[in-house]
Order: sequence, then structure tokens, then C-alpha cells
Amino acid sequence: MIEIKNLHANVNGKEILRGINLTVKAGEVHAIMGPNGSGKSTLAQVLSGHPAYEVTQGSVTFEGQDLLDMEPEVRAHAGVFLAFQYPVEIPGVSNSYFLKAGLNEIRKSRGEEELDSMQFLKMLKEKMKIVEMDASFINRPVNEGFSGGEKKRNEILQMAVLEPKLAILDETDSGLDIDALKIVSAGVNKLKTPQNATIVVTHYQRLLNYIVPDFVHVLVKGRIVKSGGKELAMELEANGYDFIREEMLQSA
Amino acid sequence: MTHEMNHYFTDFQKFQNNGAAKSPAWVNDLRKSALADFEQKGFPTTKQEDWKYTNVAPIAKAQFAYSSKAGMVDPEFVRSLLVEGIDQFVITFVNGHLSPEHSTMEGLPAGVVVKNLIEAYITHNNLVEEHLTKYVQYQKNTFTALNTAFINDGVFVHVSAGVEVTKPIALLFISTVNNGEQTASHIRNLIVAEDGAIVNFLHNFASVEGVNTNLTNVVTEIIAKKNSIVELVKVQRESESAFHVENLYVHQHRESNVHIFSLAVGGAIARNDMSVIIDGESTECNLNGLYITSGEQLIDHHTFIHHIHPNCPSHELFKGILFDKSRAVFNGKVYVEPEAQKTDSKQTNRNLLLSDDAIVDTKPELEIFADDVKCTHGAAVGGMNETHSFYLKTRGISEGSARGILTVGFAAEATQKIRHEALRRHVDGIVVDHLRKKFGTGNLPDIVHG
Ligand SMILES: Nc1ncnc2c1ncn2[C@@H]1O[C@H](COP(=O)(O)OP(=O)(O)O)[C@@H](O)[C@H]1O
Ligand SMILES: [Mg+2]
Repeated sequence: MIEIKNLHANVNGKEILRGINLTVKAGEVHAIMGPNGSGKSTLAQVLSGHPAYEVTQGSVTFEGQDLLDMEPEVRAHAGVFLAFQYPVEIPGVSNSYFLKAGLNEIRKSRGEEELDSMQFLKMLKEKMKIVEMDASFINRPVNEGFSGGEKKRNEILQMAVLEPKLAILDETDSGLDIDALKIVSAGVNKLKTPQNATIVVTHYQRLLNYIVPDFVHVLVKGRIVKSGGKELAMELEANGYDFIREEMLQSA
Repeated sequence: MTHEMNHYFTDFQKFQNNGAAKSPAWVNDLRKSALADFEQKGFPTTKQEDWKYTNVAPIAKAQFAYSSKAGMVDPEFVRSLLVEGIDQFVITFVNGHLSPEHSTMEGLPAGVVVKNLIEAYITHNNLVEEHLTKYVQYQKNTFTALNTAFINDGVFVHVSAGVEVTKPIALLFISTVNNGEQTASHIRNLIVAEDGAIVNFLHNFASVEGVNTNLTNVVTEIIAKKNSIVELVKVQRESESAFHVENLYVHQHRESNVHIFSLAVGGAIARNDMSVIIDGESTECNLNGLYITSGEQLIDHHTFIHHIHPNCPSHELFKGILFDKSRAVFNGKVYVEPEAQKTDSKQTNRNLLLSDDAIVDTKPELEIFADDVKCTHGAAVGGMNETHSFYLKTRGISEGSARGILTVGFAAEATQKIRHEALRRHVDGIVVDHLRKKFGTGNLPDIVHG
């Protein structure tokens, strides 16, 4: 589904990603773990096309197309979705308007009929059950005054509505208590199909007890330094990131 | 005196022999003294600090004739200016003169007076004389002096102690098409809320569609007595070729609560001066506003909050959205006297530039002479926030739609400050309609608040 090759990226002239290689196939869940500041969010933002990040080398192919050549909204139309670590608040604009605007632009880009308000609302209510969100959130301004956990749930609701092929979840567990974490993870799991794929970006192993990855990659200083199965996450949990650093030193 | 001002003196003579003759002697004395001040001061120039960014030469040069009568307006148009879906009291002025057929005062609670000033000179002479021009320094402001020289009609509101006016009072000021003749309306409003009174106003300034290059020169005085709560929402959507000047003077007594909101979208040149004297402990003062400019419009807000007593919060949030080659000015002065300890004053001015050719001049002016105070200010001028617009795009929303949605959101943060729900909805509706026109798309969200 997505093939990242030797990806280098800068922000404000500083190199953050220093040669990322990663292939994700349909039906897979990949976890990207790593210490703070290692470039996890940068990778997520670069894949979604944030204009502040400059790709200096490498390529990203999404379903056979050059992803880096697409505007962020075109990537969304193609099926890429990013659940933000820090979702943006949009005062004055209702959650339902926001979601409907996005969904209909995506449908239009695919030559599908736009949903009218009735159809959309019916669908939205169904999707809200997946993340156990109260109906009152439909008409509240996007993320404004939401708690940290509510914002994260709202991200997964957006994912549920937009039905992406590739979902990138950036620290979706941060700020969640254990109950909210379970609800959010269950939501993500329900949305999983053999046709879509998920990249879970996280600092902690905790989330991976609920969203079980097929592959775990460790990102340190802008490079994937180790990949393995879900047991790698356990190892990181037990030993911290230091043991990776030591391994790196020994192999250097 | 410059010869540009000549016609005002000719008009004043006509006015003296005609409309002015009926009013009490003290009003006439006031007019004469104000005219002398107007003559002495003349129109401001950009050499004066307060007018540095707002050149009123087009107003000074124009030969505005004193508008002596109301004129006809379509009832449909009047209705379109009212707050949707609720009962309200309505008093309408057309070209500065009362229009009884478009006014409804039925069911005013006991202890509440809403009438035009001309009538109030007769029925409530003592009250009017006690307050009119007492809070205004017309010697210092040309437009206030000019307004006072031609002082005639406008609204007089008196809310007796302890009375709550549950329905909002809508004051409509309509300017009609002038067929080439430029007229000036000098509207004078006096609002007195006695101890513990509660009252909400909509001030709606609008022009009938058509070419309109009139001057609306308003002076509004608000006296908020002890423990009263006054909310005033001003909507200024005059023609984009018209001129609008308002000097608002608020005098707050202890524990009073005043909320002013100014929505300004109209006028070729529109200048709003808002001056609040905090003359009592534990008052609360909120001045908020939103201006949306396009074409070559210039909209200017000058605020002044004078903290004289301790323990008073004052909050200001003014936001601006600028299209095309338009300009906006915000100047926020806060003066804290040595006695005004524990003043908590916050001022914010944020401007969204939607064009490279738009210009904003923003300036905080804090003069603080007390040591135990919290006074903050912040000003921002910039384009669309890249991260915000990226967030929308990652949901499939196009660049163009993202701009529209975020602009609505930007505006909503200002209108959120309006406390009266129906008035807020009214303003939200006008804002979104206006933005739809400016963006040229119906595809913008209606505003919701959390
Ligand atoms: N917009 C930016 N401007 C400057 N530095 C940035 C920016 N975004 C990220 N960085 C820097 O890039 C590095 C990686 O950040 P990030 O990708 O957020 O890390 P992670 O998500 O792994 O914690 C950090 O050193 C961070 O300070
Ligand atoms: Mg991060």
C-alpha cells in the first residue's frame, strides 16, 4: 500500500528524518516507537503533506502513485488519514459541518454522490457509536473545549467517517485514561479490514496491548534502527530505549 | 475655520430657524457652544496622533447638508434589520429622524422609557438635562462637537432602578439613497440604566440599497448606575460608500456590568471611538468587536478605558478580517490611575489578512500608574494559520473551503463574546452572510457556539 524509501526531511533547515525505509501492506498494523524528539510526528506530518516540512531525498509511493507530489487534500482523497497528536480547535464550526465537508469532497473526488444532511447525519450517528461519543458532540464546534480524551476520540470518529485506506495515528493514546484508551482502541480495531492499513505512532507500549501490531519499528534520531514483531514493543517496555542505544553503539 | 466648514454654519442658521426652535433653551445654548468648539477645532488631520492612520479629508471636503426629514423605507427592509425569532421593542430613525410607523413600543414594562429625544426634552426634561453631554468632552472631539451643535433627535432610554427589560430594545438607524445630495445625520442617543437595571440593545445602522455617500455621525452616551447590567450590540452595515462616525461614551458606576460589541462591515470610512470611564469599584467592562473590510474600506476602532477605582476587570477582544485593498485601525488605550489597584485588564487585537494588499495598523496604549495590577495586551496581524488549514486539508477539504471555514471560525471567536443569545445569533447570521458574499460562495458554515 505504501512504500517509503530513503526518506529525508527538514524543518526550518534542520534535518529531522534521515533516511526512513518502510513498507506497509494492506491488512497490516505497524507501530512506530521511539523516544521523544526522534521524528515520529515529523514522519506522520510528512506523509500527510504538512507544508512546513521539506522532503530533501527519497520517495513515497502510495498505491502506485507518488504521494509526495500530492497536496494534502489530494492525499486525503486518495485515502491517507492522519489522527493528530494535537488536534486543532476550530471555534464556530460544528463537528458535523466539518466532517460532512471533508467526506463530501472525498466522495466527489471519487465520482461518488455527495451525501445530503439527512443521509450524513444517519451515518454519523452510527459512526459515533464506534467511539461511544455522545450526540451532543455533533453540533459542538470542532474540538473547542473538548478534553484531551474527547479530542482523540473525535480524531477516531473522523477516521470512521472518512474510511481511509491508510490511517496514521500519532500518539492517539496520550492524554487518555485507561477507559478512554480501551474505547478508542476498540474503535480502531473495529475499523480494521483486510483492505486498509494502520500506522500507530507511539512513545509508550501501553496502546499496543489494545491495538496489536504486526510489526514494530524503532525510530531513533530520524532513522528506523530496529524492526521486529510485537514482542519488540515488550522488550522496549521492559528495557526502555537505552538498550537500543547501546546496541547501536556496539554496532557502530 | 476652513472654508470647507462654511456650509455647516449656513446649515446651522437654517436649523436654528427650523428644527431647533422647538427645543428647550438649555439645548440651544449647548448647540451654540458646541458649534463654537467645532469651529475652533476643525476636522482632524493625520498629523494628530489619534487620527494618524485615518484620513477624514473625504468627510471634511464633502458638503453634507443637514438632513431635515426622515424619508420613506420599505417595511420589509426594516423587518430584515430586526432580531429574528424573538419579541423586541423597536424604535426606528430614518436619516436621523424618528419614524413612528416603524417603531413598536407596545408592552414596555413600567419604569422603562424608550422614546425619541425630541419628545424626551418635553416629557423628561430634568432627566435629559441631568445627563446629556455630561460624559462627553465635545471640546476634544470635532465629530462630537458637530453632533452636539446639531443635536436634535436620537433615542432616549431610561430604565428605572431594579427593572429588568427582558426583551431586547432594537434601535434602527437607516440611511436612505441620497440621489447625489450628500446629507449628514447627527444622531444623539442617551441611555440611562439606574441602580440594578438590566437592559440589552441592538443598535443597527444600515443603508437602503443604492448609492449612498451620506455621513452618519453618532454620539451615544450610556450611564450604567450601580449594579446595573447593560449590553449593547452594535451592527454597522451601512453602504460601502457611506461615512460613519460614532463616539460612544460609557460612564460606569460601582458594580455595574457593561458589555459592548461592535460589528463593523460597512462604510467607506468608519470610525468608532469607545470611551469608558470606570467611576466605581468592582465594575466589569467588556469591549469586543469584529470588523470585516473589503474593497478600499477603512474601519477604525479607538477604545479608551479609564480605570479610576480598584478591583475592576476590563476585557477587550477585537478581531479583524481584511480583504482586497482595505484597511483597519485598532488603537486600544487603557489608563490606570494610581488608586485603581487590582485592575485586571486584558486587551487582544487579532487580524486576519486575506489579501497581500490589505493593511492593519494596531496599537495598544497602556498607561499604568498603579503597582498591583494585571494588565496584558497582545496584537497579531497575519494570514491564515498554516497548521489549522493543514488540519482541514488532511480531511479532504480543499484550500478554498479551508480558508472560508477558518475565516468563519476566526469570526466566531469574536461573536462568542456576545452574551445575549438571540443577539449573538443575529450577529452570527450577518457575519456569515457577509463572508459568503465576500468569498463568493454559499458554501460556508453557519456559526455554532460551544
Ligand atoms: N516545526 C518545527 N520547527 C522546529 N523544529 C521542529 C518542528 N517540528 C519538529 N521539530 C523538531 O524535530 C524533532 C522531532 O520532532 P517530532 O517529530 O515531533 O518528534 P516525536 O514525535 O518523535 O517526539 C524535534 O527535535 C523537534 O524539536
Ligand atoms: Mg510526536
